[in-house]
Amino acid sequence: MTHAKVALIANCLLNQNAKVCEGAHYRGVVNPVVEALRSRGYELLQLPCPELAFAGVRRWWAVYEQYDTPAYRAHCRRLAQAIAPRIEQHLRRGDEVILIGLDGSPSSGVRFTSSKPDWGGRPNRPEDDWDIVPRRGVWIEELEAELTRRGLPAVPATGWALDMGRFDEAGSRRDLEQFLDSRGIDPAAP
Amino acid sequence: MSGDARGWRMALLPHTLTNPRTVAGAALPGAALPGAALPDALGVLTACGYGVLQLPPAGEHGLLLAVIADQIAEYAHHGYAVVAIGVRGEPGGGLHGRRLAPLLRHRGVAPPPRFSLRPDADAAAEGQRLAAFLSGYDLPEEEQRRWRV
Repeated sequence: MTHAKVALIANCLLNQNAKVCEGAHYRGVVNPVVEALRSRGYELLQLPCPELAFAGVRRWWAVYEQYDTPAYRAHCRRLAQAIAPRIEQHLRRGDEVILIGLDGSPSSGVRFTSSKPDWGGRPNRPEDDWDIVPRRGVWIEELEAELTRRGLPAVPATGWALDMGRFDEAGSRRDLEQFLDSRGIDPAAP
Repeated sequence: MSGDARGWRMALLPHTLTNPRTVAGAALPGAALPGAALPDALGVLTACGYGVLQLPPAGEHGLLLAVIADQIAEYAHHGYAVVAIGVRGEPGGGLHGRRLAPLLRHRGVAPPPRFSLRPDADAAAEGQRLAAFLSGYDLPEEEQRRWRV
């Protein structure tokens, strides 16, 4: 039996229109990510965008702490339950599944999220004064929790560093390719 | 929206067009579906500046389609152009129209304009036909001015 290679990708990596205002770096598809995945034989599985479906396309910018609410987590769990059956199907049949999130995002961050506990009230913060902290975003936390509830193994994950304050496409591409090319390499092998 | 590169246009895309080959191995642009030749729709959409809302393969996806309908409605109500790219010969074009249409209607949204790729036609010519459709489509200027500032 042939096993597929499947990449779960953050919604906005296929559709930059989902980004918060001023957050889109591409017109639509983030082609470097798609190219890196397709050239290595990965099938793409787009995740829902939790922020768009919750706060809309005209939402304010926000940090992790502002989305860390019972209502938003319940919303993320509903989205996770919508997409989890597809992920479970792949994992149960032995396909290789990876996750490419969006580092720096309060929702879709994998290695890093944005944090500023005192953000709130009138949206007049000075530019880029949030902190980047090593932590999952709220959506990724809830998605992983749903997979765990289903008794599924952890999915290897990384993030495309789009929301880290200053976007470095070449660095992000190198980072992603390194992650992808390290897959399937046994570190104990000679 | 200064410093923002969004294109304000997107397409609903069936699973089979997002992933031209669904078996292991490199999925190269222009790769053919079994028994059919189709253009690399994702590549054409990328070149035309469209984003993608990926639809699941055939099957029961009630909750996921409701989530996708929520997103389409949000875009449609705020000045974004949404189209649907189907595949002739696939059930419903691969677009889940029988399930999605009532979900959209319930949210006050008309079904997006639809383009169908023909697997029996020349793939390169179909790619050009798709590109022409995508390049020529957008919301009326009045609607664009209302939202895209």
